Amino acid sequence: MSERDLIRSARFRQEREDDWRRLSNLVDKAEGQGLHRMSFQEARDLADLYRQATTSLSIAREISLDRGLLDYLEALTSRAYLSVYAPQQRLGGTIRRFLTSGGPRAMRSSWRVTLLGFLCMAAGALAGYLFYFDNPEWFYVFMPSDLAGGRGPDASTDYLRSAIYDEEDTSGLGAFATYLFSHNTRVAIFVFGLGAFLCAPTIMLLFYNGLILGVFYALHIDRGLGWDMFGWLSIHGVTELSAICIAGAGGLKLGLAVLFPGPQTRAAALRAAGHDAVKLALIAAMMLVVAALLEGFGRQLVQDQSTRIAIGWSIGALWLLWFALGGRKRS
Amino acid sequence: MSLAAMDRLLPPEGVPLYFRVAGVGVRTAAQLTDILITGAVAVALFLLSVAFDLVTPFTATAIGAMLFFVIRIPYYAASELVWNGQTLGKRLMKIKVVSADGQALTTQSLVVRNLMKEAEIFLPGTMVLTLTTDALVPSLISLTWILGVLAVPLFNKRRQRLGDIIAGTYVIHLPKPVLLPDMSETNRPLTATQSSYQFLSHQLEHYGAFELQTLEGVLRSANRAKGPAAYKQQKETLAAVFAQVRRKIDYADPVPDADHQAFLEAFYKAQRAFLEQRQLFGDKRKDKHHTAENGDVQ
Repeated sequence: MSERDLIRSARFRQEREDDWRRLSNLVDKAEGQGLHRMSFQEARDLADLYRQATTSLSIAREISLDRGLLDYLEALTSRAYLSVYAPQQRLGGTIRRFLTSGGPRAMRSSWRVTLLGFLCMAAGALAGYLFYFDNPEWFYVFMPSDLAGGRGPDASTDYLRSAIYDEEDTSGLGAFATYLFSHNTRVAIFVFGLGAFLCAPTIMLLFYNGLILGVFYALHIDRGLGWDMFGWLSIHGVTELSAICIAGAGGLKLGLAVLFPGPQTRAAALRAAGHDAVKLALIAAMMLVVAALLEGFGRQLVQDQSTRIAIGWSIGALWLLWFALGGRKRS
Repeated sequence: MSLAAMDRLLPPEGVPLYFRVAGVGVRTAAQLTDILITGAVAVALFLLSVAFDLVTPFTATAIGAMLFFVIRIPYYAASELVWNGQTLGKRLMKIKVVSADGQALTTQSLVVRNLMKEAEIFLPGTMVLTLTTDALVPSLISLTWILGVLAVPLFNKRRQRLGDIIAGTYVIHLPKPVLLPDMSETNRPLTATQSSYQFLSHQLEHYGAFELQTLEGVLRSANRAKGPAAYKQQKETLAAVFAQVRRKIDYADPVPDADHQAFLEAFYKAQRAFLEQRQLFGDKRKDKHHTAENGDVQ
């Protein structure tokens, strides 16, 4: 068939088809191996050919009635758009940036909700404490039995003391791993994730965990083991309970954005709050891992009361130092 | 999946692009695929570690717990980070997470949308299993909550779940470019004595773009027909379409049966050339009712 026999839109296609196919190959390559591994020549061609393809698409929408061609160009241009404007981000440096600036800055800018998170748990703890001294039976109401491990108002004081000081017969890694997925990690994930549902689940969960802590602590004070319990809890609890409160703060931030979006739409407010909230969640995750290490190794290795307290609170102070000083610009 | 579920995006080049938003169905399928794949891998690894007697029973439980943890949030966040918004299930279903502003996906948006997955998908998913008629009131409350969470994607145009809204992302069908041959370029040898079919301009006045593209579809599928049964069926379809077109445009000359496809192809080409030319002159004809709409012009 000679050139003259072709209709206008078919000639249009014939002239550009080779470029489109080349673009299609380059897009496949960019998606397969990543933009940063392509040669300079190829990357430049990809951008050039993409711009030509957008022009082709806009012309084709005007002059062509060939559905096959239109569908192809729509798909090709959209796909090329994604590989030009939304390529795979390089992951190197993300962690360093988070540790040196992003994380602590997010903490500083959301200290109010963090405080609120801590207050929720503290209120729970106080309530639990008062409940216990009102009637020790409350212990069984609040404390999940698998968490108590036999400790309760009916256990002997010697048993309670042995639970605090005796070395458990487990390997370090095993204890670490089982711990990591136990109660607290789950609680941290839920207080964060459920926060978006208008804050209520987060506040309730934080309060409930405070209750557990309160009755548990009150039980030991009742038996004159208050100071020993303080050491036992301090070594990992400072980090761990803070982690839960910080995760809760992330959740509260999301919930507050839904409740009080201000001048923005709710979706936009959620997106803006999500920026800091996710950093709080990641900090909480980091702290939980550290707490698990402390629980797995530290608590069994260090039996001395005051060393336990010193380790626990100095690590807590280190966290605080990081939040307060990390990522500040030198002036 | 309605056709309306297209999302418009204006790139800096100024030519609007349209992405097909992935519906709740295909995303559920991708989620289930992911759960199956990761579950199978985790079970296999666990059994392997037990079978080789590498570990004490206590450590085995710890490894099991660790695997169970990893196949939840960490797996989804990591795979979407590494594959630019696709997990294994999403790759199989050919869908992809993209940023709502059209820019590259950020690490934090991928992490947050997967953190929310725990509260939005896994928790309601496990709660469904705990529904019983014995504890009616708690079950009803959790059922309401489950339905509420599941309904979030249905109430916005981009089918975003809560995690997507917070992260500023949504899920699209990955467009797949396939270049089909141009139907106006086929040159079928005619069986009859006639060298070609010619159409007069009044014969091309009847149809619009919709009919043209329908005819294009018929002709494309006619070329794809394989096997005797499909071939016979194609013949019948073409004969029916031919009869319809011929009656409509009043084509008087005889056309042998074997030439039906050649006739329709010739008609397609002539009609397309005609309509495209009209379009260039500002006379867009959407379908065969164009004369009724533009009655006053003609």
